[in-house]
Amino acid sequence: MTRAQRRPWERDACMTQVMTHEERTALRDSVRRLLADRCAETDVRRVMASDTGHDDALWRELAGLGVAGMLVSEDNGGSGLGPVELELVMEEFGAALSSAPMISTAMAAMLLDGARAQALAAGELIVAVAPLGVHDWTGQSDVRVAGGRAEGVARFVPDGQIADLVLLAGDDGVYAVARDAFSATSLPVFDRTRRLADLHIDGPVERICDGSRVAGALAVGLLALAGDQAGGARRVLEFTVDYARERRQFGRAIGSFQAIKHMAADLLLEAESATSAARNAAEQLAGDAADRDGALALAAFACADAYVRCAKDGVQMHGGIAFTWEHPAHLYLRRARSGAQLFGDSRHWRERFIQALEAQS
Amino acid sequence: MTDEELKAEVTAWLAANWRGAPQRTERFGPDPRAEWLAKVRDAGWAAPRWPKEWYGRGLSDAQARIVESCFAEAKAPGTGQDRSNLWANTALAHATETFKRQIVPQLLAGEVGMCLLYSEPGAGSDLAAIRTRADKVEGGWRVTGQKVWTSGAHIADYGMLIARTDWSVPKHRGISFFFMPMRQKGVDVRPLRQITDETHFNEVFIDDAFIPEENLLGNLGGGWGVLQTALAYERSVMGDAARGARSGAKEAHGDAALLELAREAGKLSDPLVRQDVAQVIAWRMLNSLNTRRAKAELKQGTSSSIMSLGKLAMSRILHEEGRVRTELLGPESLLQGPDHPRAEDANFLSLNAYFTSIGGGTDQIQRNIIGERVLDLPREPEVDRDVAFSAVVAGR
Repeated sequence: MTRAQRRPWERDACMTQVMTHEERTALRDSVRRLLADRCAETDVRRVMASDTGHDDALWRELAGLGVAGMLVSEDNGGSGLGPVELELVMEEFGAALSSAPMISTAMAAMLLDGARAQALAAGELIVAVAPLGVHDWTGQSDVRVAGGRAEGVARFVPDGQIADLVLLAGDDGVYAVARDAFSATSLPVFDRTRRLADLHIDGPVERICDGSRVAGALAVGLLALAGDQAGGARRVLEFTVDYARERRQFGRAIGSFQAIKHMAADLLLEAESATSAARNAAEQLAGDAADRDGALALAAFACADAYVRCAKDGVQMHGGIAFTWEHPAHLYLRRARSGAQLFGDSRHWRERFIQALEAQS
Repeated sequence: MTDEELKAEVTAWLAANWRGAPQRTERFGPDPRAEWLAKVRDAGWAAPRWPKEWYGRGLSDAQARIVESCFAEAKAPGTGQDRSNLWANTALAHATETFKRQIVPQLLAGEVGMCLLYSEPGAGSDLAAIRTRADKVEGGWRVTGQKVWTSGAHIADYGMLIARTDWSVPKHRGISFFFMPMRQKGVDVRPLRQITDETHFNEVFIDDAFIPEENLLGNLGGGWGVLQTALAYERSVMGDAARGARSGAKEAHGDAALLELAREAGKLSDPLVRQDVAQVIAWRMLNSLNTRRAKAELKQGTSSSIMSLGKLAMSRILHEEGRVRTELLGPESLLQGPDHPRAEDANFLSLNAYFTSIGGGTDQIQRNIIGERVLDLPREPEVDRDVAFSAVVAGR
């Protein structure tokens, strides 16, 4: 593997296992504290109602904690961390319904170098990544790159509405599109915590690296999403169980009824399995293991399915109160449903999973 | 003693004594390796964590694990019984002094066969509702009742029995725990034919059988507490072993096997089949990832709620794998017998899946346990909890 092909956390041998268990826990706790303070439900709803769907002040603070640049090398002003730390932080983002552009940023960190990587890590440059060709999970993007120019539409691009720079990630290379060469149409998304945009591209592009780094960037994006889903699934289960303990009907807590208790037990299995799958994928990716494709595919559908089920049943277990807009349960259900489509649905990833198994057997 | 000295001593002892022993094939009944096990016991290696007066060496857990690894390396059985021997651990913790002196050495050497006399036709999930009675007589107790799901009863010398000794108190408080001699008139063991057409279990009919005074474990009426420690040992032993109790010939389940069956059946190109196969294999992998994470979390000192999920997860895996295997085979699954091993496997799995989803606590009871002990949800009100058991019986 050449230097350029390596993932950032591998560029330096000492970076592969940078954090001890205690340091990771400390990182997670500091992110958790900041989000509890600045990304509480009222903040989430405020950002949902905003035009951009983005809280730039909070994003700068997260950058200050080293989160935006976690996958950027220390040489470029980043934290030089790896997939294991990314996944852990994403669990917190998912639990808090954060709309921070972390998935896009993690993917971009895999593709950028130098000054742009520095600006990314500082939270000053927001970069959206549009996978093209074989990587286009929407099947609806039609951007053509030729002769130093790009033209066409990249569809359903996360954080496209706030992007300062777009990276077109195709098999034949990665191209940077500056702000004046694209216009973004913010989409009327069902999940207002995760904004998507169609990017209309028409202008010059700059080739920044070859296509060999794209797979790594997509893997990181998928992993980040899986972490978000695992964290969200656990959180929705947590507040649902809290409610089942307190809510009384027929003279007793509804959680004492087996109809509710058994649903909760089944959801715990789903949420814990999702967490195991996401963390395993992170470890496989960090270790560059032979079966990382299988581990990622497994995490992709296991986490998506678990989150949808936990959020759906969570609403059901609450009863009427969760049918109201004021109750947060539907925010999780919306987020679960959007994550279950982003980067390909569970059917797609189950198929990729069995392909990885076939390749091994 | 340093770790190195201990390791040297065990290695030297094994080199001087271990010449191989016959394999054990039955989990219950007298152990064919008894001669070797007695040697291990007398040398103090059978239960090294136990005190010297009970055949142990008073070693720390860490040092006992050194002994275990030396034995494992030599492929010699017999050590680690302070963790794994359900019968000996229960006896040591709760038996009377007299009985302990007699039974513990025999149990460590596998010289006596044992069985469990817990469940009854009328007391499955609600085990505390047992109706087998033990009435006090001169020198001991007289027992009458019926037990079920007893493995190895036909070759057992003793059964660990729970029986009701007081009917005037609520169900949990009137139960006592005994080592009942099995080889006597009044104990009738009949094999129980399972839905898989195997007979791994027995029914035990007890009619005025006798239990000597000293065979009571724990206090009179304190049997439910003794049972909890015995069940804890049993679960930890079961946790170490593979789940699902399959016969040797029927062990070919796993990731590659299901994929291979789909390929053989010519259905691996069917996109729906691929989804089903992927999902079952995924559940299996998720379960082992959960187990791995639980172990890692325990090591880091964080308590883990994941361990309690394995049995529930395995129920779904086995039932679904049975379904998928059956669908893969199509009409072939209508057949059975040695000429149709694939059908035999699919059908066996489909039926034996209940061994996991019913045995050792049904999935529904398991969900109650997870809900109450892990998620801290309140218990279901129990109408018979504070009622004298005689009144409960009368009301039914």
